[in-house]
Amino acid sequence: MTNEEMSRKARWIRRQILEMIAASRRGHIGGAFSCTDILTVLYYGECMRFDPRRPQWPERDRFLLSKGHSCVALYVILADLGFFPFSELQSYCVEGSMLGGHPDRHIPGVEADTGSLGHGLGIAAGMALAGSMDNKEYTTFALLGDGECHEGSVWEAAMFAAHHRLKNLVAIVDRNRQCATDYTEDCNALDPLPNKWKSFGWDTMEVDGHSMGAIAAALRPARNRSSDRPLVIIANTIKGKGVSFMEANVSWHHGIPSGRELEIARQELTLE
Amino acid sequence: MVSSLANIDIRDAFFDSLYDIAKEDRNVVFLTADMGARSLDKFKADLPGQYSNVGIAEQNMVSVAAGLSLSGKRVFIYAIAPFVTQRCYEQVKVDISGMNLPVTIVGIGAGISYTSDGLSHHATQDVAVMRALPNIAIYTPADCQSASMTAFLSYKSDGPTYVRLDKGAYPVLYGKQERFTLGIAELKKGKDVLIISTGIMTHQALTICDELTKRGMSPGVADLYRIKPLNCQAVLDLLGSYSRIVTMEEHSIVGGIGSAISELLTDHGICDKPLKRVALDDANCKGYGDRAWVHLQHGMDVNTVTQMILQWSATKGN
Repeated sequence: MTNEEMSRKARWIRRQILEMIAASRRGHIGGAFSCTDILTVLYYGECMRFDPRRPQWPERDRFLLSKGHSCVALYVILADLGFFPFSELQSYCVEGSMLGGHPDRHIPGVEADTGSLGHGLGIAAGMALAGSMDNKEYTTFALLGDGECHEGSVWEAAMFAAHHRLKNLVAIVDRNRQCATDYTEDCNALDPLPNKWKSFGWDTMEVDGHSMGAIAAALRPARNRSSDRPLVIIANTIKGKGVSFMEANVSWHHGIPSGRELEIARQELTLE
Repeated sequence: MVSSLANIDIRDAFFDSLYDIAKEDRNVVFLTADMGARSLDKFKADLPGQYSNVGIAEQNMVSVAAGLSLSGKRVFIYAIAPFVTQRCYEQVKVDISGMNLPVTIVGIGAGISYTSDGLSHHATQDVAVMRALPNIAIYTPADCQSASMTAFLSYKSDGPTYVRLDKGAYPVLYGKQERFTLGIAELKKGKDVLIISTGIMTHQALTICDELTKRGMSPGVADLYRIKPLNCQAVLDLLGSYSRIVTMEEHSIVGGIGSAISELLTDHGICDKPLKRVALDDANCKGYGDRAWVHLQHGMDVNTVTQMILQWSATKGN
C-alpha cells in the first residue's frame, strides 16, 4: 500500500473502532486511536510476514500487542485481513464472544494473552530467543504503551533482550504521553525515554507515530538489520488521534462516546 | 519399600533426572533466576545452549518462559520458592496458568527450608496461592525417588507444574516401580488415625506414627506428593478405613493441604471423620533457629503432635 492508501485505511479502521466501542459501550478508545497508524503500517505496509489463512505458519513474524487494552484496533485489522470473519466484530464483548476487552491467543492472529501491562516484551523476548536458538528467520514485534514503561518488568525484559543480542526483536513504544488517568510527565516522568532504552543496550529510533512514511521507513528495514542489538522505535503519537475532542484529553482513555459526541466523531472519521 | 536410588539430596535427584531428560531432548530449556545447585553445574557445562541465568528477575523469567513455550520449547524455571511463585505471581497467573502452558516452575526451599533466612525466604503461603490458579499441578516430593520422577512427570505434562522442592537427603520412601500417578501413597497402613502429610513432613509423620504405635495405637501415614490436582477418589478410598485424620505440612495453616483435605470432606458431606490440621500458625516468622526449633514454636514437633493425637484419640468426637 502507498502511504496515502494506508492513511485512508487507518481512517477507516478508526471508524470501525468507534462503532464497535459505541455499540458495546466497552473498550479503550484513546489508546486504540493512538496506535492505529502504527498497526496499519505493520500489517498493510509490508513490514511483517504473515498469512491470514495460516495463522500458525511457523515462519510467520510474531506480533505481541503488549498494550492489550488497544485490542479493538488489532481486531479490526485481523478481521479485515481475513484471520477471522469480519462479521465476528459485531460480537465484540457480547456474551460468549471470542473478542474480549483484552486479546487472547484463541483469536486467530493473536500470539499471546495480554492485558496486564509489562508482560508482552518478556514474552516477545522468549519468542525471539527461541527463534535465535532454532536459527529461524522470523522477527518478533511488540507494541508497548508508554505508560506501560512504568512497569519494572519492561526493563527486566529490556536488559534480557540486549544481553542475548536479540536482533530479531523489535519493540515499538506508543508514546502518546498519557497513562490511564494522567499525563506521564506529570505523574512519573519517562523523558528522556529514548535515552533510557539506549542505555539498556537497544538501537533506538524516534519517529512521528502518525506519519505513515516515517513509520514505514523505520519498520520496513527492521527485519534485515546488520546490528546485533534489539531495536526500539519510539513512536510519538497523540492519544485519541483522529477525533478532535478526544486528542490528548485524558478523559478518553476508556471514555465511550454517545449522542452529539458520537455524531461528531463519525463525521470526523468519515472517508471522503 | 525397596529403594532404588541411593539416599541422595532431593534437589540433586530432581536435577539429575532433568539433566538426563534435557540431554535427550534438546528442546528442553532451563532458566534460573540466579539460583544454582551443585547438580546443575553439569547441566550448565554440558548443555550450555539449553541453560540460561536470567539474573535476579523472576517476572521477566516467567514471561520469557511463556514466549519460549509458545515457540515449542519445554521450559523449566528455577528460583527460591517464594520468589518464583509470589514475586512473579501475576506473570504466573496470566502468562503460564492463563495460557495453560507446559512450563515447570521449580521452587527450591519448601516451607521453612531456609530456616534462619527468615520470612522473605520462607515458602509458607506458596501452596495456598498456587493452588488457587487453574491448570497448575503441584508436587512436593518427600524423597529422592519421588523427586526424580517428578522431573519426568512435569516434563511429560501438557500443562504447567509447580514443584516445591526441598533440600537435603532423607530416607528413601519409594521403590523404582512407583509411577507416582495416584497423587497419594499410603506408606503405613493403620486403622484409627490417618496422618496425611506432604514433603519432608512425611518423615516426621512416620516418626510420630512409630511413637503412636508404641503407645498402642494403629496409625497410618499417607504421603500426598501431588497436592493438585487432588485425587479425591484416592483420598476418599484411603479415608474409608480410618476414624480420624491429621494433616501435616510445613506451610501456613491457611490454604495448604489441611485446607484442601478439609474442602474435600466438606464437599463430599463427610461429617464423621474429625480432622486436625498441623501446620505453621497464621503468623509471620517467630524468630530465628533451625527447623526443629521452628517446629517446636508451632507445635509441629514429634512430641507435641504425638501428645495431641493421643489426647484427641482418647476423647469422643472432635
